[in-house]
Amino acid sequence: MSNTNMPTAPNAEPAKYPNSENTSLPPATKTKGPWMVLWSKFSRNPYAMTGLVVLLIFIIGSLSAKLITPFDPAHVDLMITNLKPGTDGHVLGTDEVGRDIFARLLYSGQVSLLIGFSVAAISVIIGSLVGAISGFFGGWIDTIFMRFVDVMSSIPTLFLNILVMAIFGTKISYMILMLAFTSWMSVARLVRGTYLQLREMQYVEAAKAIGVSKTGIIFRHLLRNATFPIIVNATLMVGGAILAESGLSYLGLGIQAPATSWGLMLSNSQEFMLIDPMQAVYPGLCIFIVVLAVNFIGDGIRDAMDPRQKQMKSRRRLDKWRKNYSKSEI
Amino acid sequence: MAQKLLEVRNLTTGFMTEKGFVKATDRISINIEKGQTLCLVGESGSGKSVTSLSIMRLIDYAGGTILDGKIEFKGDDLAAKKQDQMKNIRGNKIAMIFQDPMSALNPVFTVGEQIAESLRLHQNKSGDEAWKEAIDLLKLVGIPAAEMRAKQYPHEMSGGMCQRVVIAIALACKPELLIADEPTTALDVTIQAQILELLMRLKEELGMAILLITHDMGVAAEVADHIAVMYAGAIVEQGTVEEIFTNPSHPYTIGLLKSIPGFEGGSSEKELYTIKGTIPGLGNLPQGCRFNPRCPHVMDKCRQVEPGDFKIGNEHTTKCWLFEDKPEVTVSGGTGGNTNV
Amino acid sequence: MTEYLIRRFLQSVLVLFLISLVAFGLIHAAPGGPTQMMMAPGISPETAKIQAHNMGLDKPLPAQYGIWLTNMLKGDLGHTFKNNKPVGDVLWPTVGNTIKLMSFAWVISLLIAIPWGIYNSTREYGLSDQTASFVSYVGFAMPAFWFGIILQVFFSLKLDWLPLSDMYDMDKQGNFLNLLFHLILPCSVLVLGMLAAYTKYARSSMLEVLEQDYIRTARAKGVPERKVIFRHALRNALIPVITIIGMDLPILVGGATLTESVFNWPGMGRLFVDMARQREYSVLMAITLITAVVVVAGNLIADILYKIVDPRVKLGGKGGRSA
Repeated sequence: MSNTNMPTAPNAEPAKYPNSENTSLPPATKTKGPWMVLWSKFSRNPYAMTGLVVLLIFIIGSLSAKLITPFDPAHVDLMITNLKPGTDGHVLGTDEVGRDIFARLLYSGQVSLLIGFSVAAISVIIGSLVGAISGFFGGWIDTIFMRFVDVMSSIPTLFLNILVMAIFGTKISYMILMLAFTSWMSVARLVRGTYLQLREMQYVEAAKAIGVSKTGIIFRHLLRNATFPIIVNATLMVGGAILAESGLSYLGLGIQAPATSWGLMLSNSQEFMLIDPMQAVYPGLCIFIVVLAVNFIGDGIRDAMDPRQKQMKSRRRLDKWRKNYSKSEI
Repeated sequence: MAQKLLEVRNLTTGFMTEKGFVKATDRISINIEKGQTLCLVGESGSGKSVTSLSIMRLIDYAGGTILDGKIEFKGDDLAAKKQDQMKNIRGNKIAMIFQDPMSALNPVFTVGEQIAESLRLHQNKSGDEAWKEAIDLLKLVGIPAAEMRAKQYPHEMSGGMCQRVVIAIALACKPELLIADEPTTALDVTIQAQILELLMRLKEELGMAILLITHDMGVAAEVADHIAVMYAGAIVEQGTVEEIFTNPSHPYTIGLLKSIPGFEGGSSEKELYTIKGTIPGLGNLPQGCRFNPRCPHVMDKCRQVEPGDFKIGNEHTTKCWLFEDKPEVTVSGGTGGNTNV
Repeated sequence: MTEYLIRRFLQSVLVLFLISLVAFGLIHAAPGGPTQMMMAPGISPETAKIQAHNMGLDKPLPAQYGIWLTNMLKGDLGHTFKNNKPVGDVLWPTVGNTIKLMSFAWVISLLIAIPWGIYNSTREYGLSDQTASFVSYVGFAMPAFWFGIILQVFFSLKLDWLPLSDMYDMDKQGNFLNLLFHLILPCSVLVLGMLAAYTKYARSSMLEVLEQDYIRTARAKGVPERKVIFRHALRNALIPVITIIGMDLPILVGGATLTESVFNWPGMGRLFVDMARQREYSVLMAITLITAVVVVAGNLIADILYKIVDPRVKLGGKGGRSA
């Protein structure tokens, strides 16, 4: 479901070649850094690149809102309510109390993106800490932490958010903390899983045998092995947080006027559905596009780091090759 | 001369990879006669498994395709058959056993069911009949308490046990050809010998031919009638087991034999012999002879032109310019020809 | 099996206990505690004290928690603060309404998603597969309530084909056909979201299974392709799907909240939002606990099913899907 933080893609385990005998590895000619390899594959993925460009446009647009539009998003002017798009420089017109819709969209973007990125950052920090501590100490600490993860995953996130917003009040900072606090579990599971996996690896045993600190080795490899999956996870969390914010604001338990957000705009628009349905379309479209862009980026990174994606089985292309092959030799 | 059972001619197969199309085998030609054992020997990545998957036409499901060549099984070209027609041959006339027995069995069915399925499919046996025969098959492959074992799931058995079950599945319909793809690699050394022994005993009892794929020259020496040595997608030398072991001629074969510890033709030094370098990726074969970068006898010609198959014995051929003076053998069937796609 | 069931059951009870602690703790962590918020504004401090005493709010926190929990276990969900109605009277009807909505949407989406995902796994990157991938991108990125609003604008206001909101028309309370009619729009919203996830799960799970060695063995046995998929692969592929769907329950329950609000569906989620606005904590705590029970029970059932379909999981062993 799209309103809450998204479940993590269930393929975070290390990739394996389905049939090593059949897969010829390219020779190691030049050794590129993992980031470069990732980027070179990422940049060849049209969806991911489109997502990146769109996201950048939204970030730049909302950050430079002041430069783009002269209107104040919170300025109420009852003389100019429900203007048609294009009148008097109001690109998308005005709403029922005369606020410029385009300006509100831009400033809303600031809020949504701020929430999306900070929630992802904070949950990555919480999740990595919990996961690493859990994996490192094991035993009862691990048990307690993992039960806690179970508890957190068993309460509908939205309910918890609503509860907290209703109890503590609707401040942006509370909302960010709350959303982060309800979305770190997948990262914790991932980091813990990687940690446990690494602990069983033979090179860790080998390192121990020659007297290198086991913990040091594990953390170095943990960093290397878990970084990209965490990034993918974080990207998905950005989208999830933006959706969650919009949901809460829509319910009246999120951003409050005079501040503005896409969810809040949607909430207002529902009352005026009959008069001006487009008011409901714009903010929803913004949420949709940004979340879509972020998800494309996340999937792009995941595909770029997953060697299993390499062998695309396309019967059609194989058959074509087969035909051309026999032709070329007759 | 025994009757020909399987004749593979100029089999060329390919896969699609990230870097584009790659040939996995290049004009492979092998013959298997009734009741005989052919060993396909080579390092991993040399295309042995692809060859076996191609004969079964399972390559289509693994993301690859047969580009060229013929696979004649009792005069029928399998390479030209549709998957629909193949299902009556697979498991019935030709059966296959795989490398890792633990993962080759479906975890959610009992082993008895998995054996019985074959019988129901190909011999139209009823459930009860098939089940009874499955138990007989388990006894045949030497599993004690077969009635009890038949009701167990694969995870309740050891690796050696599982491989016996896999063999029982393969033998269910008394196939004429059994393809065994490294059947002992994933097993303990003691179990390996037992499984090989079992295979050879069953071969005698049922009179089937075996195509055994292995990387182990020692195994080949024990069980094979013929040996074909594969390197980087091509067969570089083949002949009877005596010819290969008494008169190995391709430098790669010699290298393989020398690296067997304790082999008489091997190195006199104390150290173990190794062939320098590694097998090239199939995507970037060297020009000329595919073995030339690792060959101790490399000549200028080897770096430019790929050698053909030269006949140096009765059934013995080798793909090496050192034997240029011997007659060249060409195999008809398929289009053969150049190596460039 | 029994040992496993007992262990798993105790685990669930522990999780539920912790959840009740979290819910209770949250409400009492509110600035000023619940006393201040529960009291009607403008009452005198004396009255407030008496009222607090009546409600047991002057006892120490652990004692309050104990009382609340025992009452809960006895089935007494407490009373609302506003008009002192039993919480159960307010809550239970909405639970039924939510179940009607959710089960309908859930069954429909599973019926579509699993066959569709399996079909797509056999024809990777085909037209149907691309469509499914498009649907799942849209479903994951679209705010469900926005989709609901758009559907309302189009099908209710513009075309006037379907009812805008609520569960029944005013004059047709309890009419089943009328209920179905009202279910269409909210269900479409929920189904899109679920389809997005389940089709993807079914497809990727199936793809993973189709790459396994035992599938190759089945083909090598000469099993026809249709049977390979439906007999050999399907059962293995459904095992992880069951687990994931079980684990998704909290997301489902949460997802219904927004849809219920958009369509004014008198369900538990909407009640939760209304009660949160009115700060009716006893109702909020009851709902949190009830959903937690549902979710934990869902996970438990998924785990048990997992064991029934997958003989590999040793009975009496550790939980099937630890992180």
